[in-house]
Amino acid sequence: MWSSENAKHNNKKKNKSGHGSSSRIVSSSSARSSPSSASSILSQTPRRRTMEEMWKDITLATLHQETPLAPLLETTHSHPQHHHHHQLQLHRPHPTASPSFRTMILQDFLSGPCSTVSPASAAAAEHITLPPSPPPLPPTALTLKSGLELRYPAGGGGGGGGASGGAGSGGGSLVVNAHSRSSSNSNESRVNGQANKNGHGGSFMPSYFSDAVISPPSPAGLFSFCSKKRMMPEGPVVDGDRRYKRMIKNRESAARSRARKQAYTNELELEVAHLLEENAKLKKQQEELRMAMADQLPNRNALQRSTSAPF
Amino acid sequence: MSRDPLVVGHVVGDVLDPFFKSASLRVLYNNRELTNGSELKPSAVVHEPRVEIGGRDMRTLYTLVMVDPDAPSPSNPTKREHLHWLVTDIPETTNSSFGNEIVCYESPRPTAGIHRFVFVLFRQEVRQTIYAPGWRQNFNTRDFAALYNLGLPVAAMYFNCQRENGCGGRRYHPVSGWT
Repeated sequence: MWSSENAKHNNKKKNKSGHGSSSRIVSSSSARSSPSSASSILSQTPRRRTMEEMWKDITLATLHQETPLAPLLETTHSHPQHHHHHQLQLHRPHPTASPSFRTMILQDFLSGPCSTVSPASAAAAEHITLPPSPPPLPPTALTLKSGLELRYPAGGGGGGGGASGGAGSGGGSLVVNAHSRSSSNSNESRVNGQANKNGHGGSFMPSYFSDAVISPPSPAGLFSFCSKKRMMPEGPVVDGDRRYKRMIKNRESAARSRARKQAYTNELELEVAHLLEENAKLKKQQEELRMAMADQLPNRNALQRSTSAPF
Repeated sequence: MSRDPLVVGHVVGDVLDPFFKSASLRVLYNNRELTNGSELKPSAVVHEPRVEIGGRDMRTLYTLVMVDPDAPSPSNPTKREHLHWLVTDIPETTNSSFGNEIVCYESPRPTAGIHRFVFVLFRQEVRQTIYAPGWRQNFNTRDFAALYNLGLPVAAMYFNCQRENGCGGRRYHPVSGWT
């Protein structure tokens, strides 16, 4: 079961690597899900993606500079980006159906005071589409806006503070703050609207701000909104064990099923043999009786003469 | 004989020791004779069957036991075996209604998986009193036979049964996980 799933993931990743995506990351990541956003479109990142893998992906992404994937976006988005990596991000396809306004978010974001944040980490952020990003993120972002507005002027450390604060709400509010700072209310409403519409809008924001902190200071903060539904809090060791047990149980069940089928077939064969034998015996018996009867009974069809007169 | 359905279906092994069939056993549900290893629905086995013991000598008495070795589920038979029916002192050539029903018939109601339901026939040497066990579950046919000196079985039959609408597949238990 699992091997076929992994093979599927691997095949999809290999298809995408032809586009020049980070083949290094593809190969180094576990077979379960890939960090590249392109293949994440297709692969349903399973819930079993563990904390360790997520963190590994993030650290790997920060280390490697990724080449752009197939450019989905038009060049109309060519803003004066002083960072080469920003453009890289623009070209990266997003899992949502409307990449255009996701880049708008990014650009507005980056054109704001947040642009001082290292783009490399932002580039890496794109790879980590966090599937379990909580959809209720935007509402919280709105509510915490005023609170974090005060913290933000703390500078780049604000990003770190936000990270340690945990919860994607910190990241969401960062984005909101950026917009309010740029004092473009229309943008803000659009961002919020978009964030509300896009399931991945939420993932966009926290992933960005988490990578604003280059060094991995607080994986806890990251992972708290990484894995929304922690069905498998155990490590990969217990996972494999559970899988193994399941496999054994399945094998036993299959063996029982085969035994059942075979037993029934055997019984039917025995019965058939028995019935055939009985049938043959009965037929023979009947035949013998018929012969015996025919011999004993004379033929009365012909008329016979008999006396009936008294004299 | 390894092709014997009782062996292939692991009835001999899980419930019984290997034996030689020396009695004629017929089980009839709704006037239809049961084929060994066949599958029946719970609705078909609600009422007790007619168990006929062939032969010639009415003095010989038999004990009939019906158990479910796959309780509560075949993959997890913690309650092996569940006793469904126990009738003693059945005279040869007659049927189960002529015997002493020690444990009344309980309709098979499998909840998880496909269960085997086994009929076991023992020949009694004498008319003896057999006491009902305290509970139906975790019955052991071998121990029971040893306790009452019944020896090896003289006949056995089994059928499969699952829930009315398909076997109860995997269910999530809060304690034991997916079973």
